[in-house]
Amino acid sequence: MWLFALPALLINVCIILVPAVLTFTAAFFMWDGVGKPAWAGLANFQNMFADPVFWSALTNNFIWTAIFLIVPVCLALVMAAALLMAPKARIVVQSIIFLPRIIAVAVTGRIFQGMIFSPATGVVAWLNEHGFSISDPLADPDRSLYAVAAVDIWHWWGFLAVVFLSAMRQISIDQIEAARLDGAGFFALFRYVLIPGIRPTLTLMLILTVIWSFQVFEFIFIVTRGGPAYGSEVLATFAYRHAFFEGDVGQAAAAACVMSLFGLCATAVYLWLQITDDAQST
Amino acid sequence: MTMTRRQLVAAIPAAALAASLPRDVRAEDGRKVVTFWFGQANSDGQAALRNDLVEAFNASQDKYLLQLEVKGAAVNNLLKVALVAGNGPDIVQTAGPAYLTAIANAGQVLPLDDFAEKYKWKDRFLAPLLNTSVYGGKLYALPRDYESMHLFYNKELFKQNGWKQPTNRQEMEAIADAALAKGVIPFGAGNADWKGVNEWLMTVFFNNVAGPDNVRKALAGELPWTAPPFVEAVELSKAWYNKGYFGKNYFSLTIEQSFLQVVNAKAAMAFSGTWSFGTKSYGMSKPDTVIDVMPTPTLGSAFTGSLVHLACGATLSIAKNSQNAEGAAAVFEFMLTRKFYETMNRDWPGKWALPVKDLPPDMLQGIGYPLFEKTIANLHEAFSKGQYGFTTWTFWPGATNSYLIEGIEQVWLNKITPDAYLTRMQTLFSQEAKEGKVPPLPPRTA
Repeated sequence: MWLFALPALLINVCIILVPAVLTFTAAFFMWDGVGKPAWAGLANFQNMFADPVFWSALTNNFIWTAIFLIVPVCLALVMAAALLMAPKARIVVQSIIFLPRIIAVAVTGRIFQGMIFSPATGVVAWLNEHGFSISDPLADPDRSLYAVAAVDIWHWWGFLAVVFLSAMRQISIDQIEAARLDGAGFFALFRYVLIPGIRPTLTLMLILTVIWSFQVFEFIFIVTRGGPAYGSEVLATFAYRHAFFEGDVGQAAAAACVMSLFGLCATAVYLWLQITDDAQST
Repeated sequence: MTMTRRQLVAAIPAAALAASLPRDVRAEDGRKVVTFWFGQANSDGQAALRNDLVEAFNASQDKYLLQLEVKGAAVNNLLKVALVAGNGPDIVQTAGPAYLTAIANAGQVLPLDDFAEKYKWKDRFLAPLLNTSVYGGKLYALPRDYESMHLFYNKELFKQNGWKQPTNRQEMEAIADAALAKGVIPFGAGNADWKGVNEWLMTVFFNNVAGPDNVRKALAGELPWTAPPFVEAVELSKAWYNKGYFGKNYFSLTIEQSFLQVVNAKAAMAFSGTWSFGTKSYGMSKPDTVIDVMPTPTLGSAFTGSLVHLACGATLSIAKNSQNAEGAAAVFEFMLTRKFYETMNRDWPGKWALPVKDLPPDMLQGIGYPLFEKTIANLHEAFSKGQYGFTTWTFWPGATNSYLIEGIEQVWLNKITPDAYLTRMQTLFSQEAKEGKVPPLPPRTA
């Protein structure tokens, strides 16, 4: 049996475990990416914790996580429940809401940057020309994170809705019919049948959302590059900037370790929930 | 052909071994291949690279075959990774001496002194630019071009309003205020696609307010960045930003959009660099009729007159692991020919202004771009005489320069004070100076 698992194990060791160990090791060295690394002990972590930009990035990651645990999840749950109740509209609506997911991240970022938010060429420009006074949210350090989050929500929530819909469709139709016969309306059905019915999927998606939120990079890098004035800086852009613009791979690795820590915590919570569930069901 | 499982298993280590062996560096016609990675190039640039460099070089001799790949904006990152893995191109192009420093210190590129001796490069290049690539007495790169910040302006707009070229801060601010009053943006600027625009502006503020001598002292570690001249420079940049001199949409406009504001008379002026002469792609078929260039005047009391800023936008080296160093040097020598200089500057102005003594700028008279020709001639003279300021992207070490770019946004957007900004810059600079990361500084004359 172990022989069958060997290829997958080897691939995982090569592309996950080895880079993870190397990154963890790099966090304890001063390295500019091309020269010889020098032992630094905990200096990279000390420097990072002393940097206000790191704390700003970490805060932004928490804000991002909170937004993504609430907004797209709620939107997706409601949409999935509505589609479950309206089978005729399901295919068309499902396709429409899933469409953003098909568009590449880079393209989506550029579309929003140039055609929506831009005060020179975007919808914002058109609104300004027609009497509305709207400034570009991407240019405001207090709003840029939320603007990029809106872009990512647009890209993400449809996928989430489709996943939830698939899970809801596994719920026994008898259970739904019985609830209806008992007089349950949409919200009662949603609250007492659908949500409990998809709890394992919901838990998994929430945990994945936390993990992905601490890895968020593409949209922020494409749309704002973490700016302006570090307004949308997150741990991944912090790490990228240190590694590739400042030639400080050690500091970038230290930031990556912090990102991994949150991912590991989220995974531990998921495993604990699963073990608890398994214990209850046996 | 189908392979048996046993053959397949045997092929894996064989393929791994083959991958680790030196690359086949001969083309089908027997010529030794020279590889070269280029960064960003617009369509004009790619055509110029193909016709004026690759095809022209390959047609010029039968020993070497140049193969060029345009890698895009990530080329600096790709290059570092490839060099460490021993798998980079033969010709290593960096984005300037500040980028070269780490690579040269790490021994990833060859000293060029023997080639320099053979081809007399040390006699032919302008010393201030060539010396930016000398570390420990050895030459590690050739400068590909010289650059400087310039003040572009709309000729017609100036004429209509009776504005004269400003010679000091008061005159400059008078024009800017007059422009604002007319609903014209004083300086077209935008960093939506390239945050480095921040450092273009800060190069002007540091040098033209604090003065090039003070900047040189700071780079040499003789004056802290927190000294009053630099505080004045940062405060002026903040004041101009807050007064709206750079428009309301600085963070939302791309470089091209902001430059077009000057072309379309929506903005009066723009601080931009020599690279902007490739602005035919910005919608100007005849730039000379629309815009002109003036040297940036003093903006403080540290010096009088106007100033150009010494910059090298790219350096060319030979990789330590190159299988064909002679071929790479032959490509460099080809780039120094009159024909290449003429054709490349005609087809892609501002990108390959080789800082070479024996290719005088008046050669550019034939390319039909008087504005570019005039500017290059002025630069050539200023750099030859040692009269210049220092650009951030050429002389500031990596982390300090990165903070210079990112941190100034915090100042402009009132998140931190100029003092806090400069204190942080000084901390980073001290550390990098201690680690030997500051590029060599050429002397300057008054």
